[in-house]
Amino acid sequence: MKSNMIKKILKYVLIIFVAALFFFPIYWMATMAFKPFPEWTAAGEKLYWFPEQPTLDNFREIFVRRTDFKTDISSTATGPIINSLIISSLGTLMAMVLGIMAGYGISRYKAGGQLPFFLLQLRMFPPAAVLIPVMIMWAFLRMVDTWYGLAIIYGVVTLPFSTWLMKTFFDDIPSELDEAAIVDGCSSFGAFLKVVLPLTKGGIASTALFVFILNWSDFLIAFILTDRKWGTIPVYINKLQSATVGQLYGPKAALGLLAAIPPIVFGIMIQKYLVRGLTFGAIKK
Amino acid sequence: MANILLDNLVKTFGKQTAVKNLCLDIKDGEFVAVLGPSGCGKTTTMNMISGLLQPDSGKIYFDGKEMNNVPVGKRGVGFVFQNYAIFTYMTAFENIAFGLKIKKLSEGDINKRINEVAALLQLEKALHMKASRLSINDMQKVALARSMVTEPKIFLLDEPLSNLDATLRNVMRAELKNIQKELRQTAIYVTHDQIEAMSLADRIAVMNFAVLQQFDTPLKVYNRPKNLFVAGFIGSPTINLLDAVYDSGDFILADFQNKKQVVSEKNRARIHDLLKQEKVVLGVRPEHLKLSDSVEGNGNELTARVVSIEPLGSKTVVYLKSDSDTGNVIKAIMGSDYRPKVDQVKTLNFREKDLYLFDKISTELVFRF
Repeated sequence: MKSNMIKKILKYVLIIFVAALFFFPIYWMATMAFKPFPEWTAAGEKLYWFPEQPTLDNFREIFVRRTDFKTDISSTATGPIINSLIISSLGTLMAMVLGIMAGYGISRYKAGGQLPFFLLQLRMFPPAAVLIPVMIMWAFLRMVDTWYGLAIIYGVVTLPFSTWLMKTFFDDIPSELDEAAIVDGCSSFGAFLKVVLPLTKGGIASTALFVFILNWSDFLIAFILTDRKWGTIPVYINKLQSATVGQLYGPKAALGLLAAIPPIVFGIMIQKYLVRGLTFGAIKK
Repeated sequence: MANILLDNLVKTFGKQTAVKNLCLDIKDGEFVAVLGPSGCGKTTTMNMISGLLQPDSGKIYFDGKEMNNVPVGKRGVGFVFQNYAIFTYMTAFENIAFGLKIKKLSEGDINKRINEVAALLQLEKALHMKASRLSINDMQKVALARSMVTEPKIFLLDEPLSNLDATLRNVMRAELKNIQKELRQTAIYVTHDQIEAMSLADRIAVMNFAVLQQFDTPLKVYNRPKNLFVAGFIGSPTINLLDAVYDSGDFILADFQNKKQVVSEKNRARIHDLLKQEKVVLGVRPEHLKLSDSVEGNGNELTARVVSIEPLGSKTVVYLKSDSDTGNVIKAIMGSDYRPKVDQVKTLNFREKDLYLFDKISTELVFRF
């Protein structure tokens, strides 16, 4: 009895500790977004665990440019937010369309032999190693600081993930299902479209979310391949610093808080598909 | 309806030959079972007939028309898969309608046909249920209905009953037989279950190691197995096989202290002509083997020790072993009340006409007494 109780307590203490560890940065960002300058600045002597005088100043700072801080930022955060939405979505769309088809081909037709593993290996390169050549290529193609230039590189960079993940989802679907549709008169592509795709909705949704988050949170590629016009949120956050105060933690936190919204909304939207298994397998087990 | 001709079909996967020089001539409206252990090439054969797989060489004809280059959907075959391949996110109705919609039938026609099939299979109640919620029995019926409804010329069934429990299997087996009789479609039925094959099929094609062993009626396959494999595969419990050496008209049984199996005068000459070498195997089915206590006569009786018994209600299977170390377990089917004690010594009795004689080296049946 007693040892059971202790076990239970220990378990919950551990759970709370781990949860706190993960949630603390989010908590800190969320509260800092509402702290006035003296509370978030590093110059303050006191540590504020909670905003004492909550304010929307930080949001005003990023959306309505003020002159409190001397910065060389020439635009508000509206542009980067729109840029991020467009570019990340397009990159995700590209990675998903290609990844779904490539994954299906690899899963069903064993296309490419060792290709899937080779694709995954590509991701083991440190991005910085390939970025300079990419930048030269992009400059040559006049794609630096364009929406499509960044969207294409996002699509390419996340393609191995989408291909690999989708392949595993397709592997789970018995090939008899496609064959049954083909025997009934479907073309191979028809069977894929009408039978296999509806069954992989959950896989598609979760892969898309994963890829979107990768694109959405990328800093390095966007930092190198964009300039004034098509900078994304992470690039803009990086710019939020001033000659007088240094890092503008308050406005950074405010924009970070806003940046967290789209993936969360996306996640909630596809939540029912994330529960895997329900849609899978009418097949004997 | 159609007749099917498979002409020298070969299919290999890498280094492995899945089907080797397969020739089959299946008549219009015939129910053929393809029987064999796992990996013998049964399913590969089916997939080639349906067009899901292309043979490496050889030709497939339906009604005399070559089918090799006809795409799957245009061959007019219905395929019931072992795992049913039901589209779970659709209702049973939508599953059955799938093929008809692809063939662009009108809604009225689709409804009419589905209702007919549903009535035949007693599936009316389940029609509008989500396929994922169907019982395994109904799923099986939906799979059947889905291929029946398109009225294929040829019906391919890949172990359709293997996922059902024993009782349901018996029920569905009877139903399948009725349905096939009613529709008179050419049907090919893949199974590893000899009882299904024996009870359903007009003819059975027994396969092993990618090679067709025998293609005959169920009774022929049972009574005149072409070789040791077919003899051993058909029949439950399996046939008793006794190693023997041919010696001037009689057989010396190595497993029974070299006792002699004397052959009657009328068969001697024929066996002498047919045998190519002296190492042979004598086969006798458990149902033809009778056990008795009396140890008498000329000293040539075969005796064996009871190892275990299996009372099955309607009959009792007795397992025995001869006193030599090399001998196989011998099975005998006795009456339901027969209860010998373990370790008891019994005499094996059988009639000469129930014996099968195989060449041990070629494994072929040489003589049926």
